[in-house]
Amino acid sequence: MKSNSFWAIIILGGFVGLFFWLRTIDWVGMFNIEQHTRDTEEKLGDLFWEHIGDEGEQITDSLTVAAMDSMVHRLCDANAIPRERIKVHVFRADVVNAFAMPGGHLVVNSALIEDCKSPEQLCGVLAHEIGHIELRHVMSKLVREIGTSVLVNMTMGGGDGGQIGEVVGVLSSKAFDRDMEREADLKAVDYLTEAQIDPHPFADFLYLTGNGESEEAFEWLSTHPSSKERIEYVLEEIGKRQFEVKPVIAASTWGKLKEKMGVSDTLSLN
Amino acid sequence: MQTDMNAPLDHEAEKASNSYLMSLLALLVGAPLPIINLIATLIFYVGNRRSTYFVRWHCTQALLSQLSVFFLNSYGFWWTLSIVFTDATLTNEYVAYVVTVGLFNVFEFVSTLYTAIEVRKGKHVRWWIIGDLTDQLVKEVR
Repeated sequence: MKSNSFWAIIILGGFVGLFFWLRTIDWVGMFNIEQHTRDTEEKLGDLFWEHIGDEGEQITDSLTVAAMDSMVHRLCDANAIPRERIKVHVFRADVVNAFAMPGGHLVVNSALIEDCKSPEQLCGVLAHEIGHIELRHVMSKLVREIGTSVLVNMTMGGGDGGQIGEVVGVLSSKAFDRDMEREADLKAVDYLTEAQIDPHPFADFLYLTGNGESEEAFEWLSTHPSSKERIEYVLEEIGKRQFEVKPVIAASTWGKLKEKMGVSDTLSLN
Repeated sequence: MQTDMNAPLDHEAEKASNSYLMSLLALLVGAPLPIINLIATLIFYVGNRRSTYFVRWHCTQALLSQLSVFFLNSYGFWWTLSIVFTDATLTNEYVAYVVTVGLFNVFEFVSTLYTAIEVRKGKHVRWWIIGDLTDQLVKEVR
């Protein structure tokens, strides 16, 4: 008769061996889990987008659309991001803010565009938000704040308007955690330099928070962590890189875009 | 594995067999909660600790058998909760763990069912390792 320790080793070895053998199988790929996750994100994104679209006033004139598209195109093309994955929406709003939603929706307020001193600054903010999208921070934040069960329930038609509004509020006004913001900042520098866009104006934009600009109006900055540290690591990251820069859009187009943000020849979706 | 323990009376065999059936029933009722079947066997154990040697021995073995899978199931349970309620993602490791633990549970379930049937017939079924551990915990009062 075999001893107890023999059987203990056999059982323990069997368990560990089976586990290590099973983990070599690509279950995630086999069950198409990535695709299901993306589909859920898409559904949530469309749901939130419908809510925001109904609530706000979207700017859809050809100049705004073309200028924004040109900037996002440049960032996406240089960084192998499928352009169709990022859906940019410009809204007329007095609050300086931009935020990412599930499904690749990126909302930019007109006040943010007005406040940017150059297209490179705007590209910096866009690159940062695209970073959040590509690094899957948006869903992580939602799951942490709202919970998976509520989100899945929403995709199945279980969420009412108030609940959806609450979630959109979380996305637009609550910051990601410190590590995620850092990751997105560094990713933004990466995206900008790859796209031959000067990243220094992005650091300048962050510098504005450190100089006590109105934080009420600067929601994008007030919802992000302390700027001093961010500027330091962004500049450090820029210093590590060698890159060439090319203009993003013509100065005249930039001027017209900024003018458009102040003029109300907009299409209301209400 | 069987020993030459004195043949139990019919009501003893029934009680001893029930200690195993209790965990199976609890498993079916509270399937996702790993603690339920452990609590069920613990209650049965406490209720029969002053019973005959045969009954006490099997109640103890049933309890220890549940304890062995309790830790494996609990880890899987909390891992699942972290995926559902936090930003933890579903990985190949998680699926591998769930499948492994699932297979161990099936093995444990079949063994428990077999033991319950045999014990009901008055046969003394000992599990590897757990049987010896039960011997250490349950002493025959002469």
